[in-house]
Amino acid sequence: MSRPVSPCSASKRRPAASILLPLLILLVVVITLVALGTGRYPVSILDILRFSAGLIGWSQLEPAQFDLMYNLLVEIRLPRVLAALLLGAALAVSGAAFQGVFRNPLVSPNLLGVLSGSAFGAALGMLLGGNWLLIQLVAFACGLVAVGLALAIAHAFGQGSLIMLVLGGIVSGALFAALLSTVKYVADPYNELPAITLWLMGSLASVEIREVLWAAIPMGAAIVALCASGRWLDALAMGDDEARTLGVPVALVRYGVIGCATLLGALTVSLAGMIGWVGLIVPHVARLLCGPGHSRLLPVSTLLGASFLLMADLLARSLADSEIPIGIVTELLGIPVFLLVLRRVRRGWN
Amino acid sequence: MSMEPGVLRACGLRFERAGRTVLDGIDLSLASGDILALLGVNGAGKTTLLRCLLGLLRPCAGQVSLDGAPLASLSRQRLACRLAYVPQAHVAPFPFSVREVVTLGRLPYQGPFGAAGATDLDAVESAIDQLGIGALAERPYTELSGGERQLTLIARALAQGARLLIMDEPVSGLDFGHQIRLLRHLERLAADGYGILKTTHHPDHALACASRVAVLHQGRIEVDDVPDKVLTPERIRRLYRVDVEVLRVSGGRSVVIY
Repeated sequence: MSRPVSPCSASKRRPAASILLPLLILLVVVITLVALGTGRYPVSILDILRFSAGLIGWSQLEPAQFDLMYNLLVEIRLPRVLAALLLGAALAVSGAAFQGVFRNPLVSPNLLGVLSGSAFGAALGMLLGGNWLLIQLVAFACGLVAVGLALAIAHAFGQGSLIMLVLGGIVSGALFAALLSTVKYVADPYNELPAITLWLMGSLASVEIREVLWAAIPMGAAIVALCASGRWLDALAMGDDEARTLGVPVALVRYGVIGCATLLGALTVSLAGMIGWVGLIVPHVARLLCGPGHSRLLPVSTLLGASFLLMADLLARSLADSEIPIGIVTELLGIPVFLLVLRRVRRGWN
Repeated sequence: MSMEPGVLRACGLRFERAGRTVLDGIDLSLASGDILALLGVNGAGKTTLLRCLLGLLRPCAGQVSLDGAPLASLSRQRLACRLAYVPQAHVAPFPFSVREVVTLGRLPYQGPFGAAGATDLDAVESAIDQLGIGALAERPYTELSGGERQLTLIARALAQGARLLIMDEPVSGLDFGHQIRLLRHLERLAADGYGILKTTHHPDHALACASRVAVLHQGRIEVDDVPDKVLTPERIRRLYRVDVEVLRVSGGRSVVIY
């Protein structure tokens, strides 16, 4: 048993905000460079920097060398790296915001069923033999439908109270999980079923740069909107009545956060399948670094989530000869991290 | 901070829930300098009345006004600068520090995007000083005792700059010493010009620390007067169905004996 540290020293041990954010940005940059350089054909960080300088015209590289690097770094590795950064940030920040809105540190972005709905949608798209675009569109639409169903249940039975939202999410999630099982059951076991199963484990391998750039616009906007709601979320975490008497537009904040997180979750699944745990653990690690105040927690979670998923993807594609699904990596990485976090925070939950 | 007088007034409030009349023609007012104790048995509708006064519930009839303006005509932010709610000390889901909780009181001045400025930090520090919780400022709110949490929530209401405070059972769950110290704090605040409405289950506390006592009974304010006139043995017997005596002790104070 470790002695609980005194709260004063715990808060003093946290780095100041002015240092923490630049440090995390540096972490993101370093992992990005390492991820770009890692693969079957390794490139040193120095070469990446030299190539980047060439790309913006600061220095000259041999044309053959430049073309090779362009193909390797920009065409092959960059889409994947950008996707990992974007999705990691999206999952982590929506998890942190959901935990504030639902006043519960054990909530994940899937609380209202967005990931279950999108997973079903993607499987359905595959069953219908659709092309990649159709699969993504169906996945996105079903994610929105799942959350819509959860909200409808909450409003039909409980005037949209917090507990009814959670119950509505459980019902909606269960429904779409059952529907997913149905799709798997009727899928052709030789081609479709393995494709669905593999896809549900999550992968960034088939992400294309065009998709990432398209998705980056709404996702970036949603991430910024969530980060900006931090101070309101602090008040909301204390209770609806208190937040209202502090001048916070409670319904706007709650449904705004749900809307942003739903958009982020549905786009995440339609780009890369199911990636679990990021939205649950990253906010906890972030709280250890910067404390519970949401105006710091949300940006810190964003940067930490981006680094975490990029690191997980790096492991997914470099641990074994063939690629490991990233969903498995995040879960295997997530469990020990979560246990470490639990050790630190259990005091507050007893 | 400027301290112009404030008056919160309820006129003919009526509230029904599921076909049952909870409040039936309530007239009540709270002015700065008052400590108004609201007594009533469990289920009498005290919390409903508080929520109507705070503009959290819309009454079926009648209205609540602040300095003559109906609550419905004021934005939540403007209302928050003049009327504050102090809930019962509760457990927060996240270990915000005491200072962070008090700083929430500045939200109505900042909006979501503004950071806390110098005025805000001053207001927070002076609220913390006023309640003498400077030593707790960096402690997590979740690890405080009930009494310390209640002081934190009152400090937040002061940081809000509101002149009128509405408190839901501020002393419930506190130990004997904390109860008395909290009542002393309320007296000091009233002397500084704050108007306080508090619900309570203790006739003794209403006798010891209130300028007026209102009794909520069967959806109406049965009586609203100075404590000695309201808290007679007959009324306490009728209200709570217990036999008591009210004794006058030295210093003009009265106590309830049971």
